[in-house]
Amino acid sequence: MDLAIRALILYAFVFVLTRVVGRRELSSLQPFDLILLIVLGDSIQQGLTQDDYSVTGALIVVGMIAILQVATSYLSFRVPRLRPILDGLPIVVVEDGKPIRKNLHRERISVEELTEEMRLQQIASLDEVQWAVLETSGSISFIKKNDS
Amino acid sequence: MAEPPDAIDLGRDRDLQGRRKDVWVRRSLLALAALVPILALFNLFGQRPATSKASVPAATLSVYAPTRLRGGLLWEGRFHITAHQEIKNAILVLSSSWAEGMSINTIEPGPSNEASDNGKLEFTLGHIPANRSFILYMQFQVNPTNVGHRSRSTSLFDGETKLATVHQKVTIFP
Repeated sequence: MDLAIRALILYAFVFVLTRVVGRRELSSLQPFDLILLIVLGDSIQQGLTQDDYSVTGALIVVGMIAILQVATSYLSFRVPRLRPILDGLPIVVVEDGKPIRKNLHRERISVEELTEEMRLQQIASLDEVQWAVLETSGSISFIKKNDS
Repeated sequence: MAEPPDAIDLGRDRDLQGRRKDVWVRRSLLALAALVPILALFNLFGQRPATSKASVPAATLSVYAPTRLRGGLLWEGRFHITAHQEIKNAILVLSSSWAEGMSINTIEPGPSNEASDNGKLEFTLGHIPANRSFILYMQFQVNPTNVGHRSRSTSLFDGETKLATVHQKVTIFP
């Protein structure tokens, strides 16, 4: 029982944390971010199972996390009103070649970061972009102008 | 103006109508998450030790141990007896909550006798001359399922005579 409750609490904490730290932080994996991710996983594991090395313990924890993950995604699918809370909403960051600064500021994205992302998608200039949308996953999708 | 991509609502996703408060909800939750380590700095979740003392004309008993612990932690309890007068047969009696849900890794120096006094742990330390000290070290580890509040007490006896008692409240966090 203890392990299941621990899994529930830590799942909820990590879920809330990933929703509040900002999606860009989670989508861009720089080497430092990768190390942080490993450290985070290790810290959670210690609090989750502590000194329980049993297969039963692992089954309880993995099973509980699987149930919570499916329940979250089912809720998001079945209850549209919960979707913005569980998954977030996209944000338009460029319109007609012009960055929307207040939206970029809100998500802590600099114009340099935006143009870097743009170059990764083989777009040379913001003038070519009709729409850029920060998706709920943290990636930025670019839609080019029809004439470019 | 070009048509926005499908499923993009310009009012909601560009002008952020109805989403102004989202950023404050996010910041508040982040502040809440940051509050945990800040409170930890102030020893709210342990395990900084503190000294509790009981002093009588015959002796002073000091217990130096953390009163806030977390599951799995290794910690030390230090029992310092200062004899102001000769103690012929010092006996330290620890309430059962010292041992309940804890691993006792070591007791140094080893008592000359260990016994149970109605569920309490009784350690016979022997003779302590006047104006001398005796320090007993105990190393513990918290059982991860041992969560909650409890009271613990430590008493010093000279044979059958109780000299001093230290009471502490302990909180164990999951």
